Amino acid sequence: MAAPASTAPLVTRRAQRRLGILLALPVTVMIVVFFLIPLANALVYSVVDFDGVSPNPTFVGAANFVEMFTDPAVWHALGNNVIWIVIGTAVPMVVGLLIALLLWGVRRGSMFYRLCFFLPFVLPAVAVGIVWGWIYDPVQGLLNKSLGALGLDSLQRGWLGDPTWALYAVLVTAIWGATGFAVVIFISALRNVDVELVDASLIDGANAAARLWYIILPQIMPVFLMVLTLTLVGGFSVFDIIFVMTGGGPADATEVIGTYAYSTAFELSRIGYGTTLALLITVLSVPVAVALNRLQRRLSLQGTGA
Amino acid sequence: VRMRRSAAVGAATAFSLILTGCFGGTAGSQDSAPPQQSSGPVELRYLIGQPEEAADLAVIKADIKNFESQNEGITIKLDVMPNENLRTVLQTQLRSGKGPDVFGYDTGPGFAGALAKAGLLHDLTGAYQKYNWPIYDFAKQRVTFDGKLVGIPNAMETVGLFYNKDLFAKHGLAEPQNLGELMAGAAKLRDAGVIPIAVNDKEGWQGGHLLSMALSSEIGGAGMDKLLAGETPWDDPSVVKALQVWADMAEQKLLPPSPTAINYDTGNALFYSGKAAINPTGAWLALDIERNAKFEVGYIPFPSSTGTGIWSGGLGSGIFVSASTTKIDAAEKFLNYGTTQEHGKWAVEKLRVIPAYPVDTTGIKGSALFNQILADTAKIAEGTGDFGYNIDVLTNDTFNNAMWKGMQGILSDQATPEEVAKQLQKNFKKPTG
Repeated sequence: MAAPASTAPLVTRRAQRRLGILLALPVTVMIVVFFLIPLANALVYSVVDFDGVSPNPTFVGAANFVEMFTDPAVWHALGNNVIWIVIGTAVPMVVGLLIALLLWGVRRGSMFYRLCFFLPFVLPAVAVGIVWGWIYDPVQGLLNKSLGALGLDSLQRGWLGDPTWALYAVLVTAIWGATGFAVVIFISALRNVDVELVDASLIDGANAAARLWYIILPQIMPVFLMVLTLTLVGGFSVFDIIFVMTGGGPADATEVIGTYAYSTAFELSRIGYGTTLALLITVLSVPVAVALNRLQRRLSLQGTGA
Repeated sequence: VRMRRSAAVGAATAFSLILTGCFGGTAGSQDSAPPQQSSGPVELRYLIGQPEEAADLAVIKADIKNFESQNEGITIKLDVMPNENLRTVLQTQLRSGKGPDVFGYDTGPGFAGALAKAGLLHDLTGAYQKYNWPIYDFAKQRVTFDGKLVGIPNAMETVGLFYNKDLFAKHGLAEPQNLGELMAGAAKLRDAGVIPIAVNDKEGWQGGHLLSMALSSEIGGAGMDKLLAGETPWDDPSVVKALQVWADMAEQKLLPPSPTAINYDTGNALFYSGKAAINPTGAWLALDIERNAKFEVGYIPFPSSTGTGIWSGGLGSGIFVSASTTKIDAAEKFLNYGTTQEHGKWAVEKLRVIPAYPVDTTGIKGSALFNQILADTAKIAEGTGDFGYNIDVLTNDTFNNAMWKGMQGILSDQATPEEVAKQLQKNFKKPTG
């Protein structure tokens, strides 16, 4: 069916069109400047062999992409990304939700608790990385000292220098920072949960798990998906905390695509290949973000959720 | 059709703008007009990496004031940047044509060599003749690329073992005369609850020094020359043997627990606090040791399996002039100021930096440790006796990356010496020219 023709006078329609363009202009400019031009830049870099200084880099076609798919270091880094995404997403989501549920009914001091849990999230990753680096220090670190004081000397190790444990040690730090974000958002979402439904389920004899699964979670699902999206995408593009704490070492043990792209581009002066690796992060994370965003929107349109 | 054509023209324009944005509009000295000679009052922007201690920065600022007072009309705007950011930021700035006029940077082919190759450094060959800068010939070779002298090396360095003489005496140990004695002494220290050798390799670059000292001592200067010239492969048994030394030390717990978790500052702190007996690092730490160590310190080359070993020596950083600067006269005067006898003595006395030109050090007050370092470095400068090299200033980025990661792999038990040696050979590129 054809759309009904506007009954507004021509002058008004023109004014509306101008206003529309005017309103859309700032966002359009921002998208062009901060997204499209850098993306085009990245695409150009990815097809040349650029060392960062040469004014006339050689065009290499798809060679950087071919190298990326055959580079064992990429697959190793991707494996670490997968570990990071799975653990670094699941733990903050689960722990964050549990803490939020515990704080849901708290009336006195709720602001204090929220502040405590949210504080790690607003601290700069560099500061967090440095402080946790001290905690993990093999000789003077608080963790090893505490283990020693408890008689658990056998558990002492150089956490960030041990290839078996280094990635998980950094993950713990990241989870410590990310959980607070989930807690605060979930607490806000829980405030919109229909308490009468929860009370009714209690009368019907639903246990805590059933209440969470059938009553609470469906109501906060869009918010849950939003937090999931942000945490998940953060897992693909993780860089700062690993760079500060281990630099991807020892000997690549904690290398992820972000740190590998950085070291390739800026330490080995292979800007072209480094950019190709950075594009891989985009290619992997954007579809996931879009899919989760669509699911979230669909649930919102269905009227489900907070 | 007209719309399509204009769209195509627009797309082509956008593409060319993106290309210009990507690779920069400045091609360096190769394509640009000759730099103008400065006249009248000028301000030079001087970029350096962050010194180890704040006190050193104050000394450098005082030196700049001194230069300004001697050269009316020239002022220096000092920019200081964390060393880890220097490389990325400097390259970007130089390419954009907005870089510093004068800057401190590493001298190796992977550093200044890459900038020179891209035409981003001013050719100082004429200035060398004009001012007759007395830089050692071997040092000049390290800043010569494609026949052009592009910088002034400003620091000579050795790497070896600093050791706590008091701790050695307390545990009845003498200065080791060979590798066996070093290992035996270290084992004795370990059994007494002292960390024998404060190896730290969290950052990775320290691994290059560890290999440099063990390898130089084991195969001598001539052997190092053959390796660096590509005449001996890097997976040669001699390289494997040098790598094996550190693998053995890690296995026998002669190093701190998990050295790849310990950064450079922490490693030094272990030494200063007396928790570790030996610190394997470079002579640049002499001033910090004088300031922080409350005990007597000795400095020896890494021992070989048959003797006391040789020093691994080389150049540290240098001073360079941007190809795009328009203040050549002033920049060269500033460089000239840094190569005078007075400045050389000042560098030795105040910063414990040994210039790459002969300096009369008579009357300079220094600790016994520093006097020894001065004497040893002078031998290298004169070419007296055998000396090895600090590898990473003579090799390219790819090789250094393989060496640093390889050493981390050995120290964290992820790689064998044979595997690392193979990687070194794979990533080695024969020097050209």
